[in-house]
Amino acid sequence: MAQELRASRCPRCRRIVVPPASLCPDHPVKMEAAVLPPLGNVVSFTTLHSPPEGFRAPLHLALVELEGGARLFCHGAATDGVKIGSRVSVEAVDSVFYFSNMGFTDRARLFWRRAGARGERIAAIGKSVVKGVWNRRPRGQD
Amino acid sequence: MTRFGRRDENLPDLMAEAAPTAMSDAGMDRPDALVVAAMNPEEFTGEGNYGSLLGTRLGLSHVPAIRVETATSSGVAAVYAGYAAIAAGIHRSVLVVGGEKMSHMATPRASEIIGRSIDAHERSYGTTMPALAGLITRALMHRRGVTLREISQVAVKNHAHGARNPFAHFQEPVKLEAVMESRLVADPLRLFHCCPISDGAAALMLTVEPRRVRIAGIGQGADTLAVRYRTDLTTFGATQAAAQAAYRMAGFGAERVEVAEIHDAFTPFELISLEDTGLVPPGKAGRATLDGETAVGGRLPVNPSGGLKARGHPLAATGIAQLVELTWQLRGTAQGRQVSARVGLAQSIGGLATNNWVTLVEARR
Repeated sequence: MAQELRASRCPRCRRIVVPPASLCPDHPVKMEAAVLPPLGNVVSFTTLHSPPEGFRAPLHLALVELEGGARLFCHGAATDGVKIGSRVSVEAVDSVFYFSNMGFTDRARLFWRRAGARGERIAAIGKSVVKGVWNRRPRGQD
Repeated sequence: MTRFGRRDENLPDLMAEAAPTAMSDAGMDRPDALVVAAMNPEEFTGEGNYGSLLGTRLGLSHVPAIRVETATSSGVAAVYAGYAAIAAGIHRSVLVVGGEKMSHMATPRASEIIGRSIDAHERSYGTTMPALAGLITRALMHRRGVTLREISQVAVKNHAHGARNPFAHFQEPVKLEAVMESRLVADPLRLFHCCPISDGAAALMLTVEPRRVRIAGIGQGADTLAVRYRTDLTTFGATQAAAQAAYRMAGFGAERVEVAEIHDAFTPFELISLEDTGLVPPGKAGRATLDGETAVGGRLPVNPSGGLKARGHPLAATGIAQLVELTWQLRGTAQGRQVSARVGLAQSIGGLATNNWVTLVEARR
């Protein structure tokens, strides 16, 4: 698993932002340091075919929402199989965020680790299988 | 205003082409003050101090002049500054001039300069305006059920309007298939969903004296510079706040608006903005477009000028050009694309919807 992500939280409205900021975007209040698990859901994504100087085409970009509501931009190797709502893991390499689509086994392992009691483990595996099948179902074009 | 498009003239010359028309139209040759809008002339043209530069160029060197900037909505910000100065009793007349000159640069370079209005962290990921618009478009399609056909029909409609506007950058109609099959820029956004890089200038004379058309309301709305700080990609809070402020000031609502100029820098933004301003009920803008309701001749003509898509988008000129078009429409002098209206609405987006404006104009009885 990738490392936890550094974030900051507003002591007044509890809003969390990544990367950490000194002041809350909504209040002139100093933010407190926080960390977030490197997992989230894709809010949206695109492939830029004429990226600005310093980037190679095609440039895959995603906006990912982490637990707690913080959103961050990520680069990715590809967007094949990525959908809005896809579960992804996020990793910071030289302080640049990258997303990777979590495969079936990644998700199963994650649920296994998170689930505490035995009954919950079985339910979690079940959910993971269902989600895997659900995400692979064919869909019409947008 | 000048014809928009690829122009050989430099920016002061373009502004000097637009300004005298506005002054003579108002029957004045010397305003009390000058407000200039230019988003980034330092980088586009290498020149600054545009208030004084234009004052001297226009033969108005001793007229007090300022420059105003709110990214791509700078033109309306300048109108606001002029309006506020008159409303406060500081001046009796203000000449507002906005323009941009960009087409002499390679598109990636111009696009990079426009992109300086994006949050620095997000920009470090290679996000440009089209990239962010691509993300928004995908979310719009997924969450609101907007279709490729609907966002493409906006381009078809606005090109058809532009074909009837001698000031437009693009004066040729386009076919729906051509839009839908144009090359991908930022998936799912295609080339013909994006406005061009244009040169041009527009001017407006504001005066305390009663004239045929008056500003009934002007409202500004703000949002976070960072797109990642927002919770919803499919509406622009800054437009909603601006619209509320404008309606409150005017003392009437969307129901009285009969023509609109909307900031369609990317065609899906026209659909979002029609709903944000309350001109079309939530979720109905795509359908209304396919049904021809927003075309000239429809229930609510939107962008009779061709919009940013076809008239073109010389950044700081655009907000003023929208109000010039509405003035012509309300006066009944928009030859070839005239609609029947007494109240018009203009909506302008600054940056990626960080600093938006809604202006309501009304023809006097």
